[in-house]
Amino acid sequence: MFFQIESGSGVPIFEQICRQIKYAIAQGSFKSGDLLPSVRELAGTLAVNANTIARSYRELQREGIVISVRGTGMEITKEAKAICVKERKRLAQENLTGVLAEAQASELSESEVRAWMDREIRRLWK
Amino acid sequence: MSQAAFELQNVTKRFRRQTALDGVSFSGNSGEVIAILGENGAGKTTAINILLGKLKADEGAAHVLGLDSAVHSQEIRQQVGYVPDEPCLYDWMTVGETGWFASGFYPSGYYERYCDLMTEYRVPLDKKIKQLSRGMKAKVSLALSLAHEPGLLILDEPTSGLDPLVRREFLESMVRVAAEGRTVLLASHQVAEVERVADAVVILIQGKLIMQVRLEELKQSCCEVVLTGNIDALQKQELPGEVISKETSGSQQQWLFLNTNEMELNRRFSQIAGLIYEVRTPSLEDVLLRLLMSSREKSDEQNAKLKQEEATASSMSN
Repeated sequence: MFFQIESGSGVPIFEQICRQIKYAIAQGSFKSGDLLPSVRELAGTLAVNANTIARSYRELQREGIVISVRGTGMEITKEAKAICVKERKRLAQENLTGVLAEAQASELSESEVRAWMDREIRRLWK
Repeated sequence: MSQAAFELQNVTKRFRRQTALDGVSFSGNSGEVIAILGENGAGKTTAINILLGKLKADEGAAHVLGLDSAVHSQEIRQQVGYVPDEPCLYDWMTVGETGWFASGFYPSGYYERYCDLMTEYRVPLDKKIKQLSRGMKAKVSLALSLAHEPGLLILDEPTSGLDPLVRREFLESMVRVAAEGRTVLLASHQVAEVERVADAVVILIQGKLIMQVRLEELKQSCCEVVLTGNIDALQKQELPGEVISKETSGSQQQWLFLNTNEMELNRRFSQIAGLIYEVRTPSLEDVLLRLLMSSREKSDEQNAKLKQEEATASSMSN
């Protein structure tokens, strides 16, 4: 899997790693039973502090997305896909709320926003 | 004996009338990457030299791997890997000879590990040092300081002037060393790199310790707020957290808060009528820049005050 880390952004690096793994699972690039790279391996390839990677893995473990299998590593659980898909939907909704707030702040009218949304919906869901 | 892999306790160092370090204390534990940040001349290299025992502190104490830096300089240098900003290598030696020469100062196994590292970094052993590029010299310097498997690796601005690929290799080595449970102390200006690899940062400004903080905590406790409108209302009340800098641009102001969080700021600011605000999470670079700018402003003010006092004094004596 390919990660993209932005050090200057407001999102903490551990969070960026969590999100990207969740996206990959939601998308189906990672499947239940697949192993995540070891902490050291990922720390090496990304040149990111190993404690940061370990923290991301702990977070994913806490959410039931991965499980630590003794002697093997971090395995993606059966429930992971459902959790990640849900999470992705939640993030999409959050982004939409943000975009709408931005539209309101820039004084777009309700009808303008609706018209634009309808057009985009027709284009994407055809 | 203390648990810290290295430690400065209340260290003061003066060079003639200039105070390079002023009562500075900071430390790092095993398995951590600690980065020292600060402008040029802030005292970073002085702090490193005191830890290594190359300089003696005027006041305070320094310990490395349980050894007193002022007394056991030789032992410390055997147990620590040190990459200076300008690698000191003999131009006329080959890469292999350089490692062989250094191996005389360390227990057996050094030369073999040095050669392995050179193969890994793709630096040919038979090349003369003077034929090497800057990046390759830096890699030789890194291999020399890693081949004895030091408990503490100290790097003084290791990646300045190196190409992205070599920089990446340096970062990977640092991460690997720390993952093996050893400690890395790094002085750097590359804030984005520090943000990736460090557990904690030490910020030095004009010889004074401004903060030693874990990066996670800094991110959680630091907020940048852009304010417009009724800013005056804020001057009259107690603020959540500590304001470390204020900047003005037209009718807008940007305040940097420490020891607070977004929720707290939202809770307080939303109650102030006529105040428009936006809370952002600053990057480490933003925090550092703000700290540097506010310290510069303070010292400018002080200098102006001093000059004024001198001028008044001289006019009175006339």
